[in-house]
Amino acid sequence: MLDSIPSFARLVAELAKFPGIGKKTATRLAFFLLRQPRAEAEALAGAILELKEKIGFCSRCFHITESDPCPICTDPGRDEGLLCVVEQPQDLIAIERSRSFRGRYHVLQGALSPLDGIGPDQLRFSELLQRLKGGAVRELLVATNFTVEGDATALYLAGQVRPLGIRVTRLAHGIPTGSDLEFVDDATVNRAVEGRRDL
Amino acid sequence: MHPQKSEAIILQHIDYGESDRIVTFFTPEQGLLKGFARGARKSRKRFGAALEPFSGVRLIWRQRPNSSLLNLQEAELLDLRDGLRRDLKALALAAYGCELVAALFGEGGAHPEVYAMLKSLLDQLNVDGGCAEYRLLLELRLLRLSGHEPHLLHCAVCGGALPEQVHFSVEQDGSLCPACRVPGARPVSLATLGSLARCRETPADRFAGFHLGATTLGEGAPLCTAALDAQLPRRIKSREFLDRLEPLPPAPGGAGHS
Ligand SMILES: [Zn+2]
Ligand SMILES: [Zn+2]
Repeated sequence: MLDSIPSFARLVAELAKFPGIGKKTATRLAFFLLRQPRAEAEALAGAILELKEKIGFCSRCFHITESDPCPICTDPGRDEGLLCVVEQPQDLIAIERSRSFRGRYHVLQGALSPLDGIGPDQLRFSELLQRLKGGAVRELLVATNFTVEGDATALYLAGQVRPLGIRVTRLAHGIPTGSDLEFVDDATVNRAVEGRRDL
Repeated sequence: MHPQKSEAIILQHIDYGESDRIVTFFTPEQGLLKGFARGARKSRKRFGAALEPFSGVRLIWRQRPNSSLLNLQEAELLDLRDGLRRDLKALALAAYGCELVAALFGEGGAHPEVYAMLKSLLDQLNVDGGCAEYRLLLELRLLRLSGHEPHLLHCAVCGGALPEQVHFSVEQDGSLCPACRVPGARPVSLATLGSLARCRETPADRFAGFHLGATTLGEGAPLCTAALDAQLPRRIKSREFLDRLEPLPPAPGGAGHS
């Protein structure tokens, strides 16, 4: 049915690539955009292009940023001795939202996965070790997810980092096993940071 | 359609969209199955931690029309095997065991003895952590359960008796006497073959209480891995992870790399 309106079909196909968006929802969104004034559609298209043009990864912590190094890495008010390791930028955002952590971050851009054969070489591990060898970090807070992958990553990190004489801690449980950090509420993340335990 | 119910081991799950998951699990009577778990990623209400890999569970599902993917309705967690999450080698071996079972017994059908073997392996890793013995035992058991038992204590070609120093060839399906030796066969001692044969005779679901010497592990482990490799339909991803944590000892004599 959509074949007769190629430009509409094209938008539906693009929207349906979004996570959690099926063809039905994509069609609904396309009709919504069709009814919007031209300026609104331009604002959306512009925002998407700006995102791709301006945002890259911080060369120090690998969080998403518009400036390199990112504002978190250059903020003088943060504790240089505390470094929090997360899997993804959205996990960093979850911890920032909880307002419980005032150190700096390192985003691994993934997690070790025995089941998928993803080893340390595929992640930002060597960059992390390089940062730790700089000597300023006293404590590494491992804030990986409470999944098999997150647990494997935490165990591996503890084994690599402890010999450097750096304290390694992990978010306290209270975050249920199997959870992705991005879906945990702020208060729980806050308690988990406050109650972090040695690994 | 009527709901079905079975004990199962969760092998793996992958995220599907924002909130759902597709779960691969192994049952005693129906082998490998895949199910759709609606909401399992985002909400913990219905499934909790029950769909985590390596968990022992009781599952209830329904068939979906025109789909091999089942609809998971309920999951009762019997054993999370939390101990695995405190030992990286145990986690790697658990992943290896699950992936091998899926690769070798992915065609469906009843495999109660494979189920019992995997359950027992995971239980052992859960309480004891990972060590090289478990990998070797796992590979030996899978060779037997999949019906591929290399000849160990007599020559695979002529059936004759073996001297102290033997060679082993995956292509010839076992040990070789000096007369039948082929190029590329790897040297192995009769003592190692004896240990492997004794391990093989023990019940497939027994993992506790084995202590193998350095020579047996050094010679036997690469041999078992190579023999199993010949039966595998695809690359085993968790193998790379495992090898990185604990590289196999080099094959003695440097011959017969696979
Ligand atoms: Zn940064
Ligand atoms: Zn012979």
